[in-house]
Amino acid sequence: MTIGIPRALIYWKQPHFWETFFEELGFKILLSPSTNKEIVEMGVKMADPETCFSQKVYWGHLLWLEGKCDLIFVPRLKAVAEHSFISHSRFARVTEEKLEYCPKFFGLPDLGKILVKTPILTENFDERKEKFEKTLERLGKKLNKKREEAKKAVKTAFLNEKELKEKERKEKFEKTLERLGKKLNKKREEAKKAVKTAFLNEKELKEKERKDFFEKINSKKSKIVLISHPYNLYDDYVNLRIKEKLEKLGAESIFIDEVPTKEETSDKKQEIWPKFHWEFGKEIMEKIQEILKYKITGVIEISSFQCGCDAVLKEFVEKEFKTKKIPFLYLLIDEHTGEAGFQTRLEAFIDTLK
Amino acid sequence: MKPKVTFAYWGNYTIAFKTLFEQLGLEIIPPEKTNEIAIQEGAKISPELYCFPLKVNIGNYISAIKKGADTIFMWENIGGSCRQRYYGVVQKKVLRDAGFKVKVLNLNSKNLFSKIRELQRNNRISFWQIIRAFRFTLKELKFIEKLEEKAQHLRPREKIKGKTNEILRFAFENLEKIDNEREFLKFKKEIFKKISGIEIDKNKKIPKVGLVGEIYTVCDGAINFGIEEKLGREEIEVHREMDLTYHLKKGIFPWKDWIIQRKIMPYLRSTVGGHGRDAIKEMLDCVKNGFDGVIHLLPFGCMPEVTIRPILEKIHLESGIPFLSLSLDEQVAEAGINTRLEAFVDVVRNYHRSKKS
Repeated sequence: MTIGIPRALIYWKQPHFWETFFEELGFKILLSPSTNKEIVEMGVKMADPETCFSQKVYWGHLLWLEGKCDLIFVPRLKAVAEHSFISHSRFARVTEEKLEYCPKFFGLPDLGKILVKTPILTENFDERKEKFEKTLERLGKKLNKKREEAKKAVKTAFLNEKELKEKERKEKFEKTLERLGKKLNKKREEAKKAVKTAFLNEKELKEKERKDFFEKINSKKSKIVLISHPYNLYDDYVNLRIKEKLEKLGAESIFIDEVPTKEETSDKKQEIWPKFHWEFGKEIMEKIQEILKYKITGVIEISSFQCGCDAVLKEFVEKEFKTKKIPFLYLLIDEHTGEAGFQTRLEAFIDTLK
Repeated sequence: MKPKVTFAYWGNYTIAFKTLFEQLGLEIIPPEKTNEIAIQEGAKISPELYCFPLKVNIGNYISAIKKGADTIFMWENIGGSCRQRYYGVVQKKVLRDAGFKVKVLNLNSKNLFSKIRELQRNNRISFWQIIRAFRFTLKELKFIEKLEEKAQHLRPREKIKGKTNEILRFAFENLEKIDNEREFLKFKKEIFKKISGIEIDKNKKIPKVGLVGEIYTVCDGAINFGIEEKLGREEIEVHREMDLTYHLKKGIFPWKDWIIQRKIMPYLRSTVGGHGRDAIKEMLDCVKNGFDGVIHLLPFGCMPEVTIRPILEKIHLESGIPFLSLSLDEQVAEAGINTRLEAFVDVVRNYHRSKKS
C-alpha cells in the first residue's frame, strides 16, 4: 500500500517527519515532486479563484497524486497548546494558550475529498481536546478532595514539571499518531517505534540548522532575513529561488524559522502587537524579537497573494522593523509573478543597502 | 469634556446602535450612510489585502472624525478564527498612522463589564439607565429585523409597486427621531398597521431565493447594492436567516453550533471560523425547503467564506439549485452586479417553471 504525501503547505512545517513515520509503519511513500509549472497550473485551474496562492499550489500537488497511490494523507491541523510561563505577577503561574492554525487548513481534507477521487487519510490534530488538567481535577474529586485543593495540586505539579512540559506535549502528539497508526491496522508498538525514529530524524536536522544559523550570523556579507511561512520559504519554485538570487547578489539569506527561540516569555511586549491566536503569528513575532538582537542589514517579507493571515501579520512586522530603522521589502507572490520583475526589485533593494 | 462618540455604519441596525448611545446620554455623531466616497477613502489608508468590511469601517470613521468625533466604539470578537478578531488593533493602528488622533474603545465579551463600569464612572450613568438602554435597543433591533423580514415577503407580491419600500423608508427615518419607549411602542403599532394595509396578490406563484454568506455584507443594503430590493422588484422573494439576533443568540447558546455541525457532517467536519458552517447549513435548508436559488455574498478574500465556497458549489452540482456567488470589494461596480443578477433571475425563473410542470 502506498501513501501519497503532497509536498506543499503543511508538509514544510515538519519535512521528513511524516515520511519517516509512515515508512516505519511499513508503507510505501509517494511524495509529490517539487513544485513545477505544471503542478501550479493544475492547481490554479481547479481551485477557487480567491483562495491564497499557497493553497492553489497544494491542490496542484493533490491532483498530481490522484490515481498514483492508494491513500493521500491530508492532516487536519487545528490547534497546538502552548504553555507559557508568567512570572511577573504575584502568583507565578503557567498558562495554557490555545494557538490555532490558519482557518483555511481546517477545511483541507473536506475540500480535498471534493477535488480528488483517491480516498483521503486524515486525522484531527487538536491538542485542546486531549487536555490534562481537567482529568486531574476529576481525579481529585474522586479522592474526596475539594476542587480548590485539586487545582492547587495541579498547579504545583505543573510548576515542577516545567521541564517535562515539552516531553508531555510530544506524548500527546504521539497518542494522536498512534491512533492514526491504528487506522492503518498497525500495532501500537510499531506505531510508537515509528514515532520515535521520526522525531529523532527531525531533531538531528534541527541541531544542524542551529549550527548553520550562527555561522551565517557571524559572516561578513550583508545579512538579509527572509520572513514568511515555511511553505513559501522552502518551496523553490514558489519563491522563485530567492535564496539563490540573493547569493548571486552577494548577500547571505537567513530564514526566519532558522532563528533559535528561547524559552522565557514575558508579556510586557503585549502593547506592540496583539495576542495572536495563530501559531505562526506568535512564532514569527517572537523570532523577530530574537533576531533584532543580532546585527542584520535588511529584511524581506514574502507573502502569497490573498493570504488572510499575512494581511494582519504584515502590519506589525513592518512596524517592528521600521521603528528600528532596518530596511524592509514586502514581496507578493502569485501564479503571475514574473521572474524579471522579482529580480529587479531584489537588485534595487540590495543596492539601497550599500 | 464629554466624548463625542462614533461607530461604524451597518445597514438599518445603525439606528438601534444610535439609540443605545443616546439613551446612555453620550454625545454621538452618527455615521453617514456608506457611500462610494467613504469606501474609497477607507481603502486608501487601510492595508491592501485586508478584508472589505475593515476598509468600509475606516471610511465611516473618517467621515465622522471630520465632523468632530473623537472616540470610536468598536465591537471586537475574541472567539473564532477569522480576521475580525484583529479589527480593533488594526483599525487603531491605521487611524493613528494616518494622523487621526482618536480614542478607540474596543469592547469584547471579556472586558464588556469593566468597560461599561469605566463609562459609568466617567459619564455619570446610572445602572438602571444602562439596563433600560440595552432593553430599548434590543426591542428596536427586533422591530427592524421584523420590518425587513416582512418587506422581503411583501415586495414581490404588492399590487402597487414601491409601496413597501416607501413605508420602510418612512419607518426608518422616523424611528431615528424617537427617544422614549412609550412613543416607540405607539410608532410600532402604527407602522405594522400601515404594512398590513398593503394590498397583495395572494395567488401569485413566486420564486424564492435564499441569501447566505457573511453577516456584514448580507445585512447591509448599502454594501450589497440593495440586493434584496432589486430581487423584490424582479418579483422574487428573498429569504435570509442571517441577522444580528441570530448572531447574538449563537453567542449566548453554544449548542446552536453543535446542531449546525451535525447537520453539515457529510460536507465539512470542522469549523472554519466566522459563519462558514452556517452558510452551508443555510444552503442545505434552502435545498430542503424547495427554494429556487441561492445567492452567496462575501467580501473579497473572506477566509471562512472562500474556504467553504467549493462545498457550496458541490451542493449546487448535486441538487441542481441555481447558485450565484458575489464577492464584493471597493472595485466592484453596480453595473457588473446588475448584469449578473439579471442573468441569475432568468435562471431562477426557468428553474421555478420547470419545477412546477
